[in-house]
Amino acid sequence: MAAPARTGSSSWRQFAAILRKDIIMELRTFEMLTSMGLYTMLTLVIYQIALSQSGSGFDVRLIAAGLLWLAFVFTSMLGLNRSLVHEKDQGCLEALLLSPVDRPVIFLAKAVGNLVFLLIVETITMPLFFVMFLSGRTLGGAWWMIPLALLVGSIGIAGVGTLLATISVNTRGRDFILSVLFIPVMYPLLLAAVGATSAAILGNPGFVEEFWRDMALAGGYDAIMLLAAYGLYEFVIGA
Amino acid sequence: MDRKKLTYIVLAVACVATTVGFLLAFFVAAPAQMLRTLDSGKGAIMGSGFVSHPIDFGQKIFYFHVPVAIASFTIFFFTAFYGVRFLMTRDRKYDTKSRIATEVTLIFVVLTMITGDLWTRWSWGVWWTWEPRLTTYFIMMLLVIGYFVLRASVEDEEKRAVYAAAFGIIAFLDAPLSFAITRIVPAGSEVHPVVIGVPGGLEGSQLAAFLISMFGMIAFGYVIYQLRYREERAKERLEVLKAALED
Amino acid sequence: MTLVGTPALEVEDLTRIFGPRKALDGVSFVVPTGAFLSIFGPNGAGKTTLLRTLTTLQNPSSGTARVFGLDVVKDAVELRSRIGLISHNALLYPDLSAEENLLFFAEMYGIADPADRVKELLDSVELLHRRFDLVRTFSRGMLQRLSIARALLHRPDVLFLDEPYSGLDPHAMDILDNLIAQVRTQHTFVMVSHDLVKGLELCSHALILAKGKVVRFDEKESIDGETFAAEYRGIVGLGVA
Repeated sequence: MAAPARTGSSSWRQFAAILRKDIIMELRTFEMLTSMGLYTMLTLVIYQIALSQSGSGFDVRLIAAGLLWLAFVFTSMLGLNRSLVHEKDQGCLEALLLSPVDRPVIFLAKAVGNLVFLLIVETITMPLFFVMFLSGRTLGGAWWMIPLALLVGSIGIAGVGTLLATISVNTRGRDFILSVLFIPVMYPLLLAAVGATSAAILGNPGFVEEFWRDMALAGGYDAIMLLAAYGLYEFVIGA
Repeated sequence: MDRKKLTYIVLAVACVATTVGFLLAFFVAAPAQMLRTLDSGKGAIMGSGFVSHPIDFGQKIFYFHVPVAIASFTIFFFTAFYGVRFLMTRDRKYDTKSRIATEVTLIFVVLTMITGDLWTRWSWGVWWTWEPRLTTYFIMMLLVIGYFVLRASVEDEEKRAVYAAAFGIIAFLDAPLSFAITRIVPAGSEVHPVVIGVPGGLEGSQLAAFLISMFGMIAFGYVIYQLRYREERAKERLEVLKAALED
Repeated sequence: MTLVGTPALEVEDLTRIFGPRKALDGVSFVVPTGAFLSIFGPNGAGKTTLLRTLTTLQNPSSGTARVFGLDVVKDAVELRSRIGLISHNALLYPDLSAEENLLFFAEMYGIADPADRVKELLDSVELLHRRFDLVRTFSRGMLQRLSIARALLHRPDVLFLDEPYSGLDPHAMDILDNLIAQVRTQHTFVMVSHDLVKGLELCSHALILAKGKVVRFDEKESIDGETFAAEYRGIVGLGVA
């Protein structure tokens, strides 16, 4: 029996390989990004319908944060499911599980991949939203706070979302199950994220403290839930 | 003492406790101080709202609402606890325990919502308000319903148990986070957070009623859990026998 | 690296229960190095469960299983680098090219000189000319060949085959036969198959499972083809109930 010629694989390299694979596959088909991007555009259209009767005096900035996060939540659910359907398709997940890779590494790679795609969609949506709904209004708070809030919120969405999507993709009625599980679990994070984003957009007195307080809450959520997801992933993916 | 006897004893205790709590709440406990009011236009609280309720009748619901809420959260802990045990041992009985605990949680959460709703209706004239505790329990209700929806959508038994355990743990972690965050994030300038709380502490008589009620509710929770669990275990044993006969 | 005398597979009282269902019930057998084990049995007999347990995808409820002395539970991670699986699913990513697929798995297994090894394997399965093509354009037979290449990347000691012939046309079947023949002496094989003829032809040891229990385990020499087939059909007839 030939002695296997192996250098041994470090977790980091495996992580990078899975991430790279997912990104290459996405770049090749653009499946996720186009569907997510299109979905966000459609959401913006619906917003326009919802706001159509509000009159020109209505300050959209008051609900801008909520509208933005709403769009991101629904778009992310779409993306999360798709990212895992790939693996199930040809039984690739089994091949992955057969290889000597630690399950948490798979979790991190998938979660980071989902985060990257979500951030890309957010980066495109933000300016679009501002142009469509907030033209001519001034930004009350500091603009740099907004990307920061998006990042912290998106980390939570991607992390917990990856765990929940791994569960939901194995059920009947995938997308539906994901929404049923995802939204209540995301609720506290979204509250905090909307709070922070809103503080940044409105810039009311005391907004800096409010922003950082909400960011701390969102960060706390991320830390706790990501730890839990990381620990639970092994069980869920092996089921 | 065997489990069955214990259950019946606890049931008796629970009935006594809740009855005593009920009586204390209505006849002995001092009427509550004015709670913090809404500062929107619905400030008629001070006026006609309270005039028609000379004792703050609505406040008495507090003696049921909060105990039931606390009981539901206590039982929810067991959903997560047994979930963890299941993942560690893969023993089906822990999955059953976790599921039953979640069922009981659902009952209590719904009771929390109903009593909370009655309270807001009696005290503030509105059927619903997005105040921290009600909101959190609404989310908890959605989480628990989600747990059952998830279970129903997985065919393979073992997979179902693993997923349910994982989600149960996540859901249980989410509940206190919800509570904390809904309290701290102010709801902006338009919507008014209504704090259903008790300013200051509880007086002696109120405290007694409250604690006894709470104890009674938790005891009830335990009883319902035990009865349901025994029912389920009997079913399971039947299944095993049936399967053995088939061979 | 194998110690002389370490059996390839050592299964002792392997059981997997959940609730009323016993997927595996006290399965025991030993298979020496270099053998070819064919596992037969009706649907629901526990073949897939046994395979998944041996390939560390599932843990047993009780009992032990050792592959080349490595316990499937305790030494799972190390064991994974010594086993390969060929399934009726391709286990390949459709949107990556043949080469990209193999390079990815090479990275997962931590293979030295991945580029060379991948080229070598692509050549041996006669797919070198299609290496840049996306796998979604491949025919069933080509998928099977590439799948074999993937399984052999890390030079596993044991190759598991999960109904590899299902869905293959005769030409593809021949290719699979050839490839197995080529590497036959370098690996121990475990195959789950519904194809009684093929299974018996290739094997050195045969195992019949029904309702999670071992009904028959023999070396090929002691098996008479016809009685075996009759017995098997009898079991399948009963076992499906």
